[in-house]
Amino acid sequence: MAKNGDKVTVRSVSGKTYEYIWKDTPSSGAMKDVYFSPDKSYVVAFFKDPQDANAIDRLQNLVGTYRQGIFGGPGGDYWKKIYCWPTDIVREGNKVAIIVPAYHKEFFFTYGSKTLDIKSGEKEGKWFTNPWHRYCNLDAREVGDWHSYFDICLLLARGVRRMHMAGLAHSDLSYKNVLVDPVSHSAAIIDIDGLVVPGKYPLDVTGTPDFIAPEVYATMHLPKSDPNRKLPNGNTDLHALAVLIYMYLLCRHPLEGKKIWDVEDEQHDKTLAFGEKAVFIEDPTNKINRYNVDWVRNNQPKSRLPYMLPWMDLDKLPYTILGPYLKDLFDRAFIQGLHNPSMRPKAFEWEDGLIQTMDLMIPCQNPNCKQKWFVFDNSASNPKCPFCGTPYKIPLPVLNLYNKANTSYKPTGMRVMVYNGTRLYQWHANPRVARNEKLTGEQKKSLACFQFHQGKWYLRNERAKGMTDLQTKQSIPAGSIVELKDGVQIRLDDENSRMIYVQMVNK
Amino acid sequence: MRRLPVYLLVDVSGSMHGEPIESVKNGLQLLVAALRKDPQALETAYLSVITFGSSAQQIVPLTELSAFNMPEISAGGCTVLGEALQLVCKCRENEVTKTTAEQKGDWRPMVFILTDGVPTDDPQPGIDKFRSMKWGASVSCAAGPGADKALLDKITPECVVELASADQSTLSAFFKWVTASIVSTSKSINESGTSTGSMDQLPPPPPEVQIV
Repeated sequence: MAKNGDKVTVRSVSGKTYEYIWKDTPSSGAMKDVYFSPDKSYVVAFFKDPQDANAIDRLQNLVGTYRQGIFGGPGGDYWKKIYCWPTDIVREGNKVAIIVPAYHKEFFFTYGSKTLDIKSGEKEGKWFTNPWHRYCNLDAREVGDWHSYFDICLLLARGVRRMHMAGLAHSDLSYKNVLVDPVSHSAAIIDIDGLVVPGKYPLDVTGTPDFIAPEVYATMHLPKSDPNRKLPNGNTDLHALAVLIYMYLLCRHPLEGKKIWDVEDEQHDKTLAFGEKAVFIEDPTNKINRYNVDWVRNNQPKSRLPYMLPWMDLDKLPYTILGPYLKDLFDRAFIQGLHNPSMRPKAFEWEDGLIQTMDLMIPCQNPNCKQKWFVFDNSASNPKCPFCGTPYKIPLPVLNLYNKANTSYKPTGMRVMVYNGTRLYQWHANPRVARNEKLTGEQKKSLACFQFHQGKWYLRNERAKGMTDLQTKQSIPAGSIVELKDGVQIRLDDENSRMIYVQMVNK
Repeated sequence: MRRLPVYLLVDVSGSMHGEPIESVKNGLQLLVAALRKDPQALETAYLSVITFGSSAQQIVPLTELSAFNMPEISAGGCTVLGEALQLVCKCRENEVTKTTAEQKGDWRPMVFILTDGVPTDDPQPGIDKFRSMKWGASVSCAAGPGADKALLDKITPECVVELASADQSTLSAFFKWVTASIVSTSKSINESGTSTGSMDQLPPPPPEVQIV
């Protein structure tokens, strides 16, 4: 019998050897006991329960074919940051373990909390979705700003999109299975051993409360063999993804509202509220589940109200502060698609929506604003930060992007807000380049940047070759600057590149 | 927000004096420290401690984990378990929020009862009152051979566990299991299908803690 601290050597089914340090009381999750390798670069995670042939077959596919498919191709290394993907399988007697890379160091708290002993603890998502945790319990140096969470959501959407492209479903996306670091703007999807290939392998999880899709909740009472029983799949992942994005950006749950469905039985109430009867708290046409500030005051512990209330004030911070693209996606996720799984936005749509929304973000001019960023609201005559109320006081150039169409240009619906530091990239200028994991080093270099100087806005061409003012037909060579004025039309790069049409607002 | 109330009923009779009561204090401290590291438990779990010796006292009212201060606990006197059961029912009536159309009430409380002996009062009225209410998980723990397991089985037929002795390492294992039970309940209370009263929602106890 091994003693605490002993080094144990195991051989995987593929013949490789691994070492781990024995602990009498290993870190333990719901399904696995986890032991670290001596250099802490990987863990050996033993399943507590015996795994049947089916489960082992599934694991073998995950560490083999599917892993190869995602990590083996060009640019495969990109995914190492986003997934904590098991690499090998160990069988010791009737025990089965998987070898999983250790989490990157940014996913452990550096400062943790001023009041709680969580330094070096894992940054599981839950710490960042409850505003009382985010703004009271955690050290301010751990929580980043609002932009951090857009970047985190983008990485999650990208991670889910790649999985779904491979035909896989995570089946248990939740803040428990996602590690985030708002400081370095990173996120990683963990617990990937539960992945399912739809239609091919049986499932061993139903998901995590708060993220289980309504159709799964509503049919949970049926036996697994019942054809009406709904099990986790790609569409339920898309519900969980939408809930995660909503929670990271707005610090509240989209379905957890005021409506009580069963006064007698809390359990049954929750089943209905998240299942059969689920209603989006901000559904504009069905306000049954919507709460107001008075209700929040009665339903949250008093000491937490200063942290909860700004976020739970649905009038002050409605989901429309996320801008038109995300509003549209949330409408599809939580209104049209809530009980109609095939209508939910796909992961790539979230990716696009988040990218386009980030182009609408401008920095709050209040240096003490905790969120530091907000999404410009096209419909408001006087833009101001929805969090701290500080008005935006300088002229704001809006760049409307147009695609080349034969001899003329057609609107793309994409916009870029200009602030000190805005940069334009290949994916703005070239309709064939998308902002995703395939970007080359060259494509990540900015083409143009913007500066506000003595009351005027200027564009500086950094490296675009064919940039041209389309009205004067003057070339704008790399290194030169041009003033931004209402109505200016600039072709960003070569003949086929996009054009920006400048609109000055907030003059 | 629905809170998860947790009531710990601790025997502080004379026989608990010394190592047992020190181990209980130690276990309680570890329990609070561990729960504070779990974001879900920290959000929802609220803790109360009721002691019973010559009288039953709620020494810590239902308190959120972040505000929980370790109480002074000392052992001495007899074992009024019946009175403690009456008291936990009364505390629940006062402290646990009931659901109304306008307010989300709390989850059903979890109750853990730890005793090493035989009640010195008539426990029946307390048992009747306790059994008339619906609890989440309710667990009683016979700490050492002196406890009346048959009686505990009447209080919490769902689950009685037994410790071979009330020493430091055994009690520490018990408190670890209680911690894990609270953590897993705070995560799964939202789950539909099964009620929180069922024992299979709790993690399996360590070898030191035998299910009777």
